[in-house]
Amino acid sequence: MDNVTHRYSAAVARPVLDRVSLAIRASEVVSLVGESGCGKTTLGKLIAGLERPSSGRVRFGGRDIWSLRGKEAKAWRLSVQLVHQDPYASLNPGLTIGSTLGAGLVHNKLARHHDLQEHLVALMRQVGLDATPEFLRRYPHQLSGGQRQRVAIARAISVRPQLVVADEVTSMLDVSLRVSILDLLRSFSEERGVASLFISHDLGVVRYFSQGGRILIMFYGVVVEEGPTEEVIAHPRHPYTYLLLEAVPVPNPGLARQRAAARASEVLEGEPSGTGCVYSNRCPFAEAKCRDSRPEAVEVGVGHWVACYFPERVPAVGSVPPVGEGSGGPLDVRSHEGGAKLVGGSTGDVRAGGIASVDG
Amino acid sequence: MSIGRGEPASGAGTSPAAGLARPILEVDNLTVTFGDGPGSVRAVDEVSLAVETGDIYAIVGESGCGKSTLAYALLDIIPPPGRVTSGEVRFKGRSLSQMSRGELNRVRAAEVAMVFQAAMNAFHPVITIGAHVDHTLQAHPEVFASRSEGREYFRYLLNLVRLRPERTWDAYESQLSGGMKQRVAIALALVLKPSVVVLDEPTTALDVLNQRLMIDILADLHRSLGVSIVFVTHDLALVAELAGRVAVMYAGRLVESGTVDEIFASGGRRHPYVTALTAAIPTVVGAVSDVRPIPGEVPNLAQLPPGCRFSPRCALAEPICQEQEPALLQDDRGHLVACHVANRLLGVPSK
Repeated sequence: MDNVTHRYSAAVARPVLDRVSLAIRASEVVSLVGESGCGKTTLGKLIAGLERPSSGRVRFGGRDIWSLRGKEAKAWRLSVQLVHQDPYASLNPGLTIGSTLGAGLVHNKLARHHDLQEHLVALMRQVGLDATPEFLRRYPHQLSGGQRQRVAIARAISVRPQLVVADEVTSMLDVSLRVSILDLLRSFSEERGVASLFISHDLGVVRYFSQGGRILIMFYGVVVEEGPTEEVIAHPRHPYTYLLLEAVPVPNPGLARQRAAARASEVLEGEPSGTGCVYSNRCPFAEAKCRDSRPEAVEVGVGHWVACYFPERVPAVGSVPPVGEGSGGPLDVRSHEGGAKLVGGSTGDVRAGGIASVDG
Repeated sequence: MSIGRGEPASGAGTSPAAGLARPILEVDNLTVTFGDGPGSVRAVDEVSLAVETGDIYAIVGESGCGKSTLAYALLDIIPPPGRVTSGEVRFKGRSLSQMSRGELNRVRAAEVAMVFQAAMNAFHPVITIGAHVDHTLQAHPEVFASRSEGREYFRYLLNLVRLRPERTWDAYESQLSGGMKQRVAIALALVLKPSVVVLDEPTTALDVLNQRLMIDILADLHRSLGVSIVFVTHDLALVAELAGRVAVMYAGRLVESGTVDEIFASGGRRHPYVTALTAAIPTVVGAVSDVRPIPGEVPNLAQLPPGCRFSPRCALAEPICQEQEPALLQDDRGHLVACHVANRLLGVPSK
C-alpha cells in the first residue's frame, strides 16, 4: 500500500485511513493492531480489493490491483483471500461444508467433479478437521465455533492464495482453541510461503501470531509505530503502543496487582487531532509542536519506525518479562529498563526464561 | 462418595470475615437440566459455591460449560426448557425456589442484579437512557423516597462508570459507543442498590482499552459501593486482574475453586485443565514459547466421555480417569480440586 487514504464519505473531514503505507513480502507474517474503529478492518478490505482507496495505490506483485483486467484480475483475486472475524456469520447456513468448499475448487478448475471428494478430504486434513465424507455433508450449524473457523480457513487456502488477510479470527473463539487456530494459520506461512496479514486488538495474540514477523500499530487511520514483533512489545516507542501494552490484562494475579499499582490513569477520550499528531489530544507527553504538525515516521531501531516527536519519553514497559510470582512476596518487579528491582535494596534481573531465587 | 460437594455453608472462603457471616449467595449441589429423557443434558451438574458479602467472584469456563446457565440460576431465570432438577440457590439463606413471585421480583431487581452478555444491545432504541432509568425506578418505588432521589443516585453511578451524566441522560442508545452502553447497563443494574451484581461476560466484545477501563470501573464500584460482584467469563486474564475468588467449570461441572492466587499459583495442587488453560493464553508477558494449545475440543454435553470429562484432553490422565468421575476435594484452606491425579499426588485425604 502506497500512501493510501480512504474515506467512506466525502462529507466527513477525517479519513478512515490517512496516508497509510505498508509492504508485505512473500511468506511474511504481519500484524495490524488498534482499537475498535481505528480503521483496521477497512485496511484489510482495501488489500482484498473490496474497497477502492480514495487516493494512493494498493499494489500486488508490483501491479496496481485496480488496473488489473481479465485473467490477471482473476489470478489476483485468488491470490488474496480473507478470513473473517465471525465464523457464525461467514459460512452459508444453507450449504454443506462440502458445497461451501467445493464450489471454489470447481469454479477455479483446481478440482474436477470426479476427484473433488479427494481434494476436499485432503483439504480437511490440512486444517485439522475430521477428514471424512460424513463431515463434508454437515451443515455449519452442526459444527462448533472452532470447527467453523477451520472451515473458513480451509475455504481461504483452498484456492492457493499468496496472501491471507485474517481479521480478528480468534476473537470469537474459546481461549483453549485460539492458540491452535493461530498455529494453523502460522503453519501455512512456514510450510507454503503464504504471507499473512493478521488484524487484531489483542497484543498478546498478535505477539504469538507474528513471532519473527512485524507489527503495525494504528491509531485512527494512522500507522503510529511499526517494527519487529518482539522489539515493539519489549520496547514500544510510541505512547499509544505503550498504553495498549499496559492495558492488556495479564493472567497472573501478582503481576496484575503490581501493574495496577504502577499504572497511571488512562485517557480514553479526546478526539483524534486533525492537524498535528493524531494522538496528541490523548497523549500525556504532548507539547505544542505535537498539536501543530504531524510527525513523520523516523527509524529508531533496525526496521523499527515510529511517528512521534518524543519517542524517548515513552517509559520502559513493565511487562518485558520481569516475571516473578509476586503473590505477596517482597519482590518488586516494577521494571526499570526491563530489569527488576528488589525491595531489599539489591537489584537483579528477572527475565523470562531466567531463574531467580530470592531467599528470606 | 460425595461427588461435587463443596461444603458451601461452612465457606470455601478465605476472607477474614467469611467464617462469621452467612454467605450472601449460595449454590448448593445445583443441577440444571435441559430437555427430558435420554436426550437431556445437564448444563450445570452438582455445582456448589458460596459468595461471601464483599467478594469479587469469578465463574470461568469455555463456551457450553454451563457458566451462563449457572449465572441465570443465581436469579432463578433459567430459560426453558432448562430447569433446576436438584439442589437450590439461596440468597441470604433463603432458597429462591421457596420465594413468592413478589419476593423473587424484589430480590431480582433490588438485591441481585444482572448485567447480561452483550448488554450494549439491551436498550430500547426509541427511548432515552433517562427513560429507561425512570421505568426502573417506577417499577420499584420502594427503593427511593422520591423519583428525583433515584435520578440523583443514577447520576452518581454514571460518574462512577466514568460517563458524563448530562450527556448520557438524554441520549438514545444509538448515540453511545459499545463500551459506553456497556457502562450505562452496569449503572442501570446498580440503580436499585443491589447487594450483588452478576455480570455475564463483561469484557467480551470490547477492545483492549475498553477492557482495561471496565476492569478499573468494576474494581472502583466494588470499593465505593461495597457491592458483591459475581462475573462469568472465559478470559483467565480478566480473572487474574479482577477476581478475589474463582470457580472453574468444565463441561457442566466445577473442577476447581479457590482464591485467585491458588488458581494461578504455579506448582500447587491444581486441576490440569486450569493449568492448561493458563498456558494457552498468549500474552505480552513471559515467553512466547511457553504458550501451549490444549488438544481436542470441549465435549458435547450430550455425549460425555466416561470418567473425568477432561480426561480425553488431559496430559496426566490415568486409567482411573476414564472410569471414575473424580470427586471435588477440599484442602484445609478450602481450595477445591476435582482431579484423581492432583488430589492423590498431594495426599489430600479422601472423604
